[in-house]
Amino acid sequence: MGKLASLFFFAVPIVGVGFCYWALTNGYNFPVDISVTGHRIDHLFWFIAALTGVVFIATEGVLAWFVWRYDGSRNPDAAKFAHGNHNLEVVWTIVPAATLVFIAIYQMNAWADAKMRPPDMDPTVEVTARQFEWRLRYPGADGKLGTRDDVHHVNDLHVPLDTEILVSLKSADVLHSFFLPNLRVKQDAVPGMKIPVWFRAMEPGTYDLVCAELCGWGHYKMKGRLTVESREDFEAWLAKKYQEQSATQDAPAEEAKSEE
Amino acid sequence: MCVAALVAVSGGCTGSVESDVRFRINLEGFNPAEVSTEQRQHLVNATVAFFGTPDEPYVFDGTGLDAKKLQMAAGPSWSDEEGVHRGLYRKHCAHCHGISGDGAGPTAIFLNPYPRDYRPGIFKFKSTQRASKPTTADMRRILHHGIPGTAMPSFALLHEDEIDALIEYVKYLSIRGQTEQMLVSRLVEADEELTRDVIVEELTLVVDTWNEAESSIITPPERPPVDTPAQLAASIDAGHKLFLAKEKSQCVNCHGPTGLGDGGDDKVYDDWNKIKLDKPAADFALPIQRLLPRNLRLGIYRGGRRPLDIYRRIHAGINGTQMPEFGPSPSNPKGALKAEEIWNLVDYVLSLPYEKSSRVHEPASVAQRARF
Repeated sequence: MGKLASLFFFAVPIVGVGFCYWALTNGYNFPVDISVTGHRIDHLFWFIAALTGVVFIATEGVLAWFVWRYDGSRNPDAAKFAHGNHNLEVVWTIVPAATLVFIAIYQMNAWADAKMRPPDMDPTVEVTARQFEWRLRYPGADGKLGTRDDVHHVNDLHVPLDTEILVSLKSADVLHSFFLPNLRVKQDAVPGMKIPVWFRAMEPGTYDLVCAELCGWGHYKMKGRLTVESREDFEAWLAKKYQEQSATQDAPAEEAKSEE
Repeated sequence: MCVAALVAVSGGCTGSVESDVRFRINLEGFNPAEVSTEQRQHLVNATVAFFGTPDEPYVFDGTGLDAKKLQMAAGPSWSDEEGVHRGLYRKHCAHCHGISGDGAGPTAIFLNPYPRDYRPGIFKFKSTQRASKPTTADMRRILHHGIPGTAMPSFALLHEDEIDALIEYVKYLSIRGQTEQMLVSRLVEADEELTRDVIVEELTLVVDTWNEAESSIITPPERPPVDTPAQLAASIDAGHKLFLAKEKSQCVNCHGPTGLGDGGDDKVYDDWNKIKLDKPAADFALPIQRLLPRNLRLGIYRGGRRPLDIYRRIHAGINGTQMPEFGPSPSNPKGALKAEEIWNLVDYVLSLPYEKSSRVHEPASVAQRARF
């Protein structure tokens, strides 16, 4: 192939690592994490990235070296075929297997805390994923979901700051996925199931809520908005939504514009 | 080869894309074979002269539409020029509602109910009397809340300017569509030439109906108090009796004695589908679709869940559908039901999703039971 070709192979790990470095130092990084436990997800990501990165560089390096060392123009002898090296094969099976088992155990707690140990509380909001929107239902003044005073809304999810939030996630039709990038929360909404999703948001602001499971032609625009605000603002917003929902007369002219 | 590809890509991405997107001519209700090529061309010339094209809408003076908003909504849904803000309709709406606002975009075929066809100028969920057009506030409400239970999503996350532009463009498509329908009628049935005067005459009639909407808003009389559980229960009970009263309210005839929407036996159709009955399917963009009376026990209210919204649905009925009006209107100043009775029905309807299952209903006849 020529020694020149092996330079291309050397370039792969160099360009790969270089590009990664450039991206991270130029603002291409994870969305801002406003959650309490999200850092565990990020840590796992970087841990696995580092581990696989080392293996990547090593493997590509060895590959490039082989292309260089055993270049056909400098090695006119016929190839020699070995009959395998049993010890080598045992080593390169056990080491990766052990690594994978290690990773599996290493992440168990993070997974369990995020998926298997819901807080013991009533849901803050019931989110029903639907083609192609997020229908929201807050318990009303009686604190119970499924009663007359529930507040119904769509796409515009508000939660109080620095509070444990429990979402009861349902689907009205097909698989969707409730994805809050800034809270490192992602949970498939499965038709027929009511799945708890919990988080605690520590920074006020507006963030994305997107669908992360292909659900049809409108999946790309199945976007909602998460607003994290102080408890007073949240209660005031919820009360205002309830008032609007119970209206028996049109509000004065600003009604339509301020309803959002 | 790489160089060629680069050139091809850069050549195809320049700003001035000549778009040949055109409005679709609307001959629904007529036999297409009976409309000659000259007549079609005449109609197209007339509508393009007075309304422009999907990329360049024209605002005729008498319509009162805002040209700037139409510019924002019309046109291709992308631009590689900086700061160009166009194509909102095509980006957000056209895939369901169609380029011409005919409710027959590419995704419409998969939907039940079909997206709204703006061209007849009939809208279902509004605050005005049955035969009137919706107000701008009504259309804003639909865009903000979507229509729950249908594929119409909420666009509340769009900027308010964008919503204003879309409302204006929907109005434009509706005015254009309804005017076109009137002109087709005069052209094909009466074999009239579409002179400027003829077009302005029809256009003015349509625009007048939109201007009249604001004065046609239904403002309900004050609701009798339902603050205590006893008052609410009494109102719900009165509403229940009215619901079952066949001669007065007719609710059970369609919605059924338990409000499941299983009352009627005959197939019914809304206005947009009625015209397809007994006509060849090829004349229409979408196959005929039945209309089902609403299941009131689901807690899904397409036109809004406020007591005010339910009141208006009963008072004015739902234009374009079989839901009749029960309140006073210009054509029927007395109205079948009094305001208090309508409020009772509102309370009953809103209570249905939460009704305790111990409340047993006897169906009106054994035949209805057999239909389950």
